[in-house]
Amino acid sequence: MVLEIKNLVKTFKQADLSKIEVLKNLNLAVQKRDTVAVVGQSGSGKSTLLSLLAGLDRQTSGSLKLHGKELGELSEIEMTQFRAENIGIIFQQFYLMPHLTSLENVSLPLEMFGYKESQERALEAMDQVGLMDRVKHFPHQLSGGESQRVAIARAIVIRPSILLADEPTGNLDNATGFQVADLIFNLVQTTGMTMIMVTHNKDLANKCSRQMTLKNGTFE
Amino acid sequence: MMIIKKLFWPKLALRELRNNRKFSLFFILNLAMGLSGFIALDSFKESLDLHLGKNSKAILGADIALTTYFPFQEENIKYLESNLPENTKVTRRISLFTMVSSIKKSRLVEVIGVEELFPFYGKIFLKNNGIVQDDNHLKKLNLYDESWVYPELLNILNLSEDENIKIGEKNFLITDLVMDDPSSSMSSFGFAPRIYVGFSKLKETGLLTKKSRVSYQRLYSLPKGANLESIVEKLKNNVKNLKGSDSKIRIISHKNAGNNLGRLLGYLNDYLGLVALIAIFLAGIGAAYLYRNYLSHHFRELSILMSLGATRQQTYQMVLWQLLFLGTGASLIAILISIIILPFLPLLLEQFLPRGFVTHISLSSLFFSIFIGCMGSFVFCLPVLSRIRSVKPLYLFHEHFINNDVEFKLWQQWYSYIPLIMLSWFLSVWQSHSWVVGSIFIVMLILSIIVLCLVALVILRIVGDISQNLNSVVIRLAFRNINRNRLGAISCFLALSMGTLLINLIPQIYQGLQEEISRPKDFRIPSLFMFDIQPDQIEALKKLISEENEVMKYISPMVRARLEKINNEVFKSFNDDSPITREQEREQRFRMRTLNLSYRTELSESEYIVRGQPFSSKYDWDSGLPSEVSIEERYADRFGLKIGDTLTFNVQEILIDAKIVNFRRVKWNSFQPNFFILFQPGVLEEAPATFLASLGGLDQFKRIKLQNKIVNKFPNVSVVDVNRTVKRILSISDQMVLALKLMAYLSIFAGLIVVFSIARNEVEGRLWELNLLKVLGAKFNDIQKMIQFEFLIIGFFACIFGVSVSTIMSYGLAWWFFENFWQWTWGISIMSIIGVISMSVIVAWFATRKLLKSSPLTLLRSS
Repeated sequence: MVLEIKNLVKTFKQADLSKIEVLKNLNLAVQKRDTVAVVGQSGSGKSTLLSLLAGLDRQTSGSLKLHGKELGELSEIEMTQFRAENIGIIFQQFYLMPHLTSLENVSLPLEMFGYKESQERALEAMDQVGLMDRVKHFPHQLSGGESQRVAIARAIVIRPSILLADEPTGNLDNATGFQVADLIFNLVQTTGMTMIMVTHNKDLANKCSRQMTLKNGTFE
Repeated sequence: MMIIKKLFWPKLALRELRNNRKFSLFFILNLAMGLSGFIALDSFKESLDLHLGKNSKAILGADIALTTYFPFQEENIKYLESNLPENTKVTRRISLFTMVSSIKKSRLVEVIGVEELFPFYGKIFLKNNGIVQDDNHLKKLNLYDESWVYPELLNILNLSEDENIKIGEKNFLITDLVMDDPSSSMSSFGFAPRIYVGFSKLKETGLLTKKSRVSYQRLYSLPKGANLESIVEKLKNNVKNLKGSDSKIRIISHKNAGNNLGRLLGYLNDYLGLVALIAIFLAGIGAAYLYRNYLSHHFRELSILMSLGATRQQTYQMVLWQLLFLGTGASLIAILISIIILPFLPLLLEQFLPRGFVTHISLSSLFFSIFIGCMGSFVFCLPVLSRIRSVKPLYLFHEHFINNDVEFKLWQQWYSYIPLIMLSWFLSVWQSHSWVVGSIFIVMLILSIIVLCLVALVILRIVGDISQNLNSVVIRLAFRNINRNRLGAISCFLALSMGTLLINLIPQIYQGLQEEISRPKDFRIPSLFMFDIQPDQIEALKKLISEENEVMKYISPMVRARLEKINNEVFKSFNDDSPITREQEREQRFRMRTLNLSYRTELSESEYIVRGQPFSSKYDWDSGLPSEVSIEERYADRFGLKIGDTLTFNVQEILIDAKIVNFRRVKWNSFQPNFFILFQPGVLEEAPATFLASLGGLDQFKRIKLQNKIVNKFPNVSVVDVNRTVKRILSISDQMVLALKLMAYLSIFAGLIVVFSIARNEVEGRLWELNLLKVLGAKFNDIQKMIQFEFLIIGFFACIFGVSVSTIMSYGLAWWFFENFWQWTWGISIMSIIGVISMSVIVAWFATRKLLKSSPLTLLRSS
């Protein structure tokens, strides 16, 4: 079992100090190599779930285990380390560092931890996403599809066991979106990663091995 | 692997700065402009310290000197010299201020009598005979009635070489001119040029009476290997065991010989340092504003880094590296600017500087500059830096990450301002060498900033309200923009108003000072001031003066004494520790001072009682009660004296107890004979005294005539031309004010750089909406007018309030120091208002013109 969620609850305080429960007693188990699509309307709690899975936020109650580790029990530094070693994230808006080249963006997570072979591995990742001819380009010199592919390369360069994707084709046109989606699924398949993807796109969701619909904070 | 990891963050920090070149450049320029004055001044001070340190032996002319205002007692000297190692060489030196006259003119001079071995270190350079290398020159001086004089004396007395001058009862032939004198380290202020004569010959002038104020020195050259510190320590301890006048002997090591010489320059440097601090403060405001904008546009990058595995500490590490790079960059630029400024400082301050002084920037100054640059950039940006705590990478999952999502209120982070306040406090105390002055300065600065910020907020609110009812679109938008971009508007307002405050305050205070020195209210400055008049000369002197139809005024006796006890506790006349602050220095000087007592039947016009009762009547020696004294109020403050305290004075080895009955305020700038301590009549009349007196209302011709007449008939009487002294004081203060003004202009320049940076930044941030205005039909001129109008309004209010606060402050200072004598320098105020407003509009135009000229298409693309 890669991911195990039991009775997961996340509440937020509102400005008037009342509480709003965004995630209500969620339960989910994800096996290795599973690809799970989380679909749902805006405000259903998809992004909140993703931020909890990425360890960027803490649950209010319940259990969230990744590789048997209870994320809620990890300190901020332990969580950061855990994320850096196990979780790759792809954002809808790509979020590349504007002042770094494609290659530097990709090697960033490795360099941060002082890996000697960061260059080689970044080049390998760039090769995997088919952008060897764009290694020295800066983000503003890339198209949307290319930018997202760089972001994918950056997510996989650490060889994560789980890939979290937040609307990875949301900012791309249809044709490019399909290409990027194919790339992600191919990579997931070849590397044996587990993927959890938040999307509105039904075609993309259909490509996943499982679909979970989030409505009002619970899985339908 | 660790090295690579450690280098990663500085490399990334540098990359980001390189990518944000404009921000980096303006941040560095801002801070550098503020730092340059400070660094130049620090290097200047260090150069001066180094010069005095290097030449300390030459300044003293010896390793150690014993100095006193009374002749040394033979047995005491033997006792003290028993501490000195074998083969120590000794020579004697006597100096006093007295009149010297030629046939045509007379003048107050410093006469120095030296023995053959003088000086042990440093060389006196004579015009005709060159360097005084062997004892022969000085032997001649001791054998014959010859003298060496400072060249300016020839001009003053209308003399040429080989003519005679009269010192006391004796005529001396001028045989040479002193071209360089290492013991006169500071350039002469022109008050009293020096004359060298033989030690034994000075004794023959008849000027060395017990009543005259003569400085006696014994100079020692220690053998090689002698431990200077321990000898000085032993001598100091032994002096404590001495009784009588020799208990006042001062031990001067060559290491602190330069202290007194640089005192005036030291005070000037203190105040220059404080003005330079304001420039740093203004620059810091600009830098913090720029950094705030930069950082808030980089929260997304920080969030990305955190989502990729960076800890919050690592993101802090990166921004700290950035501040370190920016601070270092600013310091390096500031060092370059100060290298340019530094050679001009000695030109500005030449009257205060030692001969042969050269400036340089030392390695320690360089490191200090970099330290201040880095610390400055860190503490100014710390309140902004704390925003990183609010960065949440989970916002990356929001559909539109906006940098401003990070909620933050600057005032809530009050504790992040503490390091800035502490650093500023430390720097101001360190610069002013005074806890009191430094603390008052920093409190005033913070108060001014708070007041100006509150004023700015009120103005912004009014501007916002007015904007609702304006017809002109350009003006309405300008008003709205000011109200909307509050932080930028307040930063510009602060920078401009503080700069205006400063450039107004200095001349305004000076105006008061100038008026006060040259024309004190309700007083007529005397023309001539006389001292060292012997009691038996008074009547003859009165007669001589009445022959010229003039009257000698304010004839005041002066009795030399020592303060032995305060409330029966022994008064410590010197402090063992080297003074660190100006207050300690002043107290030490006061403690070392020989007291001059006087007595009066009634107070003069230039003094009045502020607390206590007037003297009861003439003292009755049979009453068994202590006599009554009146103390000058600041003197009393310095020693913490209270009314009713008992003081014990030693007057010619007779102890006199006196009770303080009142405190007086004295108008010292009346140039009338005044004293810190006045006795009631009946106490000191029998004590040996000399007299002071003044003469008023003389034109230049009569002044010279009377001065010559007095000096010819009474050679021991010293006469000071008050007009010339006032002129000299004003010329020195002119030079001081010029230096302060230039430093203030540096502050306004730093303020304008802030305006430049903020204007540019604001327009850059609003490019999209400015472009929209263009697309909607606004003309380039309208947009340019709108921007100019914004800065015109900010500049106008900033100047008005800067001038107002400076006027209030100068009034307050005038009230405190000059007893309410104050004049508004409206010319300077109006000029500075017009000047600063125009400059801010021009600078804003210059900063934004290129950006505004871009075509709407380019702007749309870039947005």
